[in-house]
Amino acid sequence: MKGFAQRNPLAVTLYFLAVSGIAMFTLHPVITLLSLCGALLLFLVRNGTKEGKSHLYFLALFLLLSLLNPLISHRGETVLFVLNHNPVTLEALLYGICAGANLLSVLYWLRSFSQIMTSDKLLYVFGKFSPKLSLVLSMSIRYVSLFRQQAAKIAGAQKALGLYRENTLIDRFLGGLRIFSVLLTWALENGIITADSMAARGYGCGKRTSYAIFRFSREDALLLSVTLLLLLLTCVGMITGALDFSFYPAVSAAPCSGISVGSLVSYGILAFLPVIFEAKEAILWKYSLSKI
Amino acid sequence: MHKSLQSLLKWLIPFVLMPSLVVLSSFVFRQKFHLFISFAAAALAVLLFLTGFERKNVGTRRLVIVSVMTALCIAGRFIPFFKPVTAITVIAAVYLGRESGFLVGAMAALLSNFYFGQGPWTAFQMLSWGLIGWFAGALAQPLQKSRAFLLLYGVLSGIFYSLLMDVWTVLSLNGSFTFPHYLAAVATSMPHMVLYAAANFLFLWFLAKPFGDKLGRIRIKYGL
Repeated sequence: MKGFAQRNPLAVTLYFLAVSGIAMFTLHPVITLLSLCGALLLFLVRNGTKEGKSHLYFLALFLLLSLLNPLISHRGETVLFVLNHNPVTLEALLYGICAGANLLSVLYWLRSFSQIMTSDKLLYVFGKFSPKLSLVLSMSIRYVSLFRQQAAKIAGAQKALGLYRENTLIDRFLGGLRIFSVLLTWALENGIITADSMAARGYGCGKRTSYAIFRFSREDALLLSVTLLLLLLTCVGMITGALDFSFYPAVSAAPCSGISVGSLVSYGILAFLPVIFEAKEAILWKYSLSKI
Repeated sequence: MHKSLQSLLKWLIPFVLMPSLVVLSSFVFRQKFHLFISFAAAALAVLLFLTGFERKNVGTRRLVIVSVMTALCIAGRFIPFFKPVTAITVIAAVYLGRESGFLVGAMAALLSNFYFGQGPWTAFQMLSWGLIGWFAGALAQPLQKSRAFLLLYGVLSGIFYSLLMDVWTVLSLNGSFTFPHYLAAVATSMPHMVLYAAANFLFLWFLAKPFGDKLGRIRIKYGL
């Protein structure tokens, strides 16, 4: 019994692909709003009031995108006012707000995705599709921190040798170059030795396994099937044109029908699925606590 | 048959499929579709390349050296303003071949964005850095021979990177591709373009020779 973040990485990846993919695909205001609310709520549930900086950054990006569009795009028939002989239209403003909110929601989804999908989960998913690539990925991630440690060791050795003690800009630059050069030689040789050692232990002889064991439980199957079902229902609305929405020349939507309402509702459930999973866990936890 | 199909795809994807999809999407499809289709095209191109790489019989040593170069690119991206990513990608491509070049560029973009922020632009960055690496690998012989050509390639790839990312800027802002908007985006990103080109020039100037010597030495010592 675990919350959304602990679900099987394959199901979680598919969920994020579905929810952010649809948001990227359509510019329907209701879809955008649902996606933004769902993404923001998930982010807040996971992070609380921390991460104020990224909220600020996202807000600035949103304002920039939404206000820039009416200034560079002059399509649309409702003119609000004229700036430098260029008409600023209501439609362009609305389009900008909608596109900005859309991008904002995708950014929030991706931020939650990279928080939930730690590198071991990512390797698990990648390893399923491409063992060679997942090797390159995992080794590169590992090398970044390894190189940083090794660079610190080399710098220490250089200092002990009495090289580059002066704190002038040129000295520091030359010292940096020297450290980089030593590090590079070491990294390449170390890489070859690692590769030979791997080959000697039979790398590439069988199927690649990963350390982390992720079981596929009943809850995972539930998440996967619900995601697929809701994705399908939303796609029906998109393909039949029930979710068509255009801003230019005038704001107009496809007529409201059973299909459009149905697909909007299914996308709404999809967008709030992680929060529903988390809320269920929280309620279960509270309930079991009160029983004790 | 299988082999020849693969080698055909290897040429078809970057030169025919990709550009035609991007161009088509800006003329034919409905407004919001451009961003999605160009995103899909970029992701697809990278993906198709990677599946091709997966089927190839690449030695473990080469794989590990590619990871080393990728890690160096990622670490280099933490340097403020002047980023050696393109320079290292070019050097790796010149000495390790075009597939490795593409892989180093694309993987560096993908992985470093876990630190710098993932987004729809990741696919575009992967594609543009990957292509820079691929072309550098294809032009390996003249790039190795002439230093002036190498530096010129660095400057040109900085400009190419900036121009390709501007396409993304226009698509994401506007939903459709129009030439005046593109020119405006190019004009606003001009300082970045100059910075990219200058950084590539400088890093290739300083790194190309020692880096190349070391890679060459490793190649001789271990018979890569």
